[in-house]
Amino acid sequence: MRRETERETGSGKRETWLTRAARVARRIVGAPDYKAYLEHCRAAGHAPTLGEREYVAQFFEAKGKGVRCC
Amino acid sequence: MQPLAAVLLWSGISVLGAAAFGVLALSRGETVNAAWLLTAAVCTYAVGYRFYSRFLATRVFGLDNRRATPAERFNNGRDFVPTNKWVLYGHHFAAIAGAGPLVGPVLAAQFGFLPGTLWLVIGVVLGGAVQDFTMLVCSLRRDGKSLGQMAKEEINKTAGITGMLAVLFIMVILLAVLALIVVNALRDSPWGLFTIACTIPIALLMGWWMKVWRPGRVGEASAVGAVLLVGALVAGGWVANQPAAATWFRHSGLSITWMMIAYGFIASVLPVWMLLCPRDYLSTFLKISTVLVLGVAILVILPPLRMPALTSFASLGEGPVFAGKLFPFAFITIACGAISGFHSLVASGTTPKMIQREGDARLIGYGGMLMESFVGVMAMIAACTLDPGVYFAMNTTPAALAQASTVLNQAGFVVTPETMQALAAQMGEHTLIARTGGAPSLAVGMAQIFAGASSALGGRTLDALWYHFAIMFEALFILTTIDTGTRVGRFMLQEIVGHVWPRFAETSWYPGVIASSGAVVAAWGYFLYQGVVDPLGGINSLWPLFGISNQLLAAVALCVGTTILIKMGRARFAWVTAAPLAWIVTVTMTAGWQKVFSPDPRLGFLAHAASLAGSANREAARLIFNDRLNTFVALLFMTVVTVLILTSVREWWLVLSRRKTAIVHEAPYVETGYATGD
Repeated sequence: MRRETERETGSGKRETWLTRAARVARRIVGAPDYKAYLEHCRAAGHAPTLGEREYVAQFFEAKGKGVRCC
Repeated sequence: MQPLAAVLLWSGISVLGAAAFGVLALSRGETVNAAWLLTAAVCTYAVGYRFYSRFLATRVFGLDNRRATPAERFNNGRDFVPTNKWVLYGHHFAAIAGAGPLVGPVLAAQFGFLPGTLWLVIGVVLGGAVQDFTMLVCSLRRDGKSLGQMAKEEINKTAGITGMLAVLFIMVILLAVLALIVVNALRDSPWGLFTIACTIPIALLMGWWMKVWRPGRVGEASAVGAVLLVGALVAGGWVANQPAAATWFRHSGLSITWMMIAYGFIASVLPVWMLLCPRDYLSTFLKISTVLVLGVAILVILPPLRMPALTSFASLGEGPVFAGKLFPFAFITIACGAISGFHSLVASGTTPKMIQREGDARLIGYGGMLMESFVGVMAMIAACTLDPGVYFAMNTTPAALAQASTVLNQAGFVVTPETMQALAAQMGEHTLIARTGGAPSLAVGMAQIFAGASSALGGRTLDALWYHFAIMFEALFILTTIDTGTRVGRFMLQEIVGHVWPRFAETSWYPGVIASSGAVVAAWGYFLYQGVVDPLGGINSLWPLFGISNQLLAAVALCVGTTILIKMGRARFAWVTAAPLAWIVTVTMTAGWQKVFSPDPRLGFLAHAASLAGSANREAARLIFNDRLNTFVALLFMTVVTVLILTSVREWWLVLSRRKTAIVHEAPYVETGYATGD
């Protein structure tokens, strides 16, 4: 299981649980997840085409086109 | 044994739900506990989800987990991302739930708690959730296409254009009515205005944090934003108690209207990361956590409902909150929570691009809407826990109150000025009389529920804080909808004008951006201004228009869904979308007709205009113009619905009579690479 986090301390089970919780929260609120993008590129077998700043900028731009309901 | 246990369990749930409805329906005069309302709702949702959504998923649409979804086929790690169904459930819920399911039920509470609750619970199971699920599945099978694109491809070009126009209309009316709710909540309220004003610099700081300083660190920025938000809430109380400081933040409805218009324009023009995205994150966190806390608080204290099951306004149509009888106006007033056309934009927007397996659409589309309905039921509970006299004093303008005073007295819905003053002082406000729009009365109800649940911590001394927390909670996500709605309206306008002047469609060309933003803001700003200066409070005319336009969009979605079912060779199941469509069209047309042609000046726009003719009132000419404008808008909505229905019925007839070959524009079948199973 993946262990690296934004605040990697190398600790055990709790860190992994926190990492997963943070990822779930990020997805629910629709926050950018650059590590997931890197994982996707690795799985797809190509080098990432976007740096972190470009990825974040494009993510926010796309989010701005979404609709929020009444 | 297992099938027997399941039969017993579902029989038990059904009997419990029926018993709860029985208690609600048969209560006459005595106070009913909110627990019965919750039980009736939850049991109906459970039965609807277990049986009806399963029928829709398997028999009607034949969802197939072996079929690869757009998220799998176009996975790009950004917008097309296969997502766990529970995570996506939360994401979808956060996108569909806004102020609508909170405000509509509060307004409809003038008929008593029963009509609105029945419509919320039955309407969602047979209508709203079906619409959301159908749109999600249709878009899922078409590479995540939008409602407009599907209407164009599956019906014809006229339907596509009608759908696009419907979205623009609803956007303008929706933004105006939501802005009006905020204006009514913040006028003459230094505490409320200070807190909401603080959200702007907080959002700017968050934007800088997660875009410039620490790119993508939304969690950190949101945590800082949340702490500052709580600080602003507490500081607001201090500001309200300092006469000099309070003056700065005490403004009339008209001043706040201009502030809102300026804010909407700036938010639409600024880069999204500066204001729109951070505010969206703040409101999403606040929305999910507050809804959860409200649910738990209601379960903990199970408050009694002080509003009767049915009031005389249901049959008389003389309600002071808004005019009109139960049919059709209860079904127009509560749109979000029962059936909301706006959801079809989300269900054919971001969500279908993130679904991992086809079968997940059942939980996300159908289940997500059930949760929104549950939020509506909680809002109904919060409003009905208020003393009816307080409820009517808060939701009625002095002019409407004077007209309805006899009926209110006869019904026993009276309240003394001293009671209202004491309540205002308790909530940290100058006055709570005529705070129309639903948000303040919901805030008082929520504050009393929260204060009751937190009595062990601080008791009723926290009432004022909870009241302003609830106001902030509602205003924050209304402003988020205004940000995104103005922006989406701007994009649509740029696209439309771009057909004749291509440069205008460039989203980076500032003259185009400014002109289109200005036009969209001017459109909803005019209706907002009209609502604020309306002596009857504005909600009376604007909220029904909003309900009609929202249901119009639902009619567009259900027409598309019915057409697709017929083309799929599932005409025998077309009633699943055709039946709610027939109901929605009946309701929309009846309400539209009454709003235009009713001889009652409180109800009919034309009758109101006629009553003002020859008046010495200096404002009469402007009010008459507004009545005629509203008449035009209502007739336009009705025409759009008629065009759409005729176009769709013609298409159904051609396909069913085999005069036209049914061509379904589904994406080709591709086998999934994921493990399958239920």
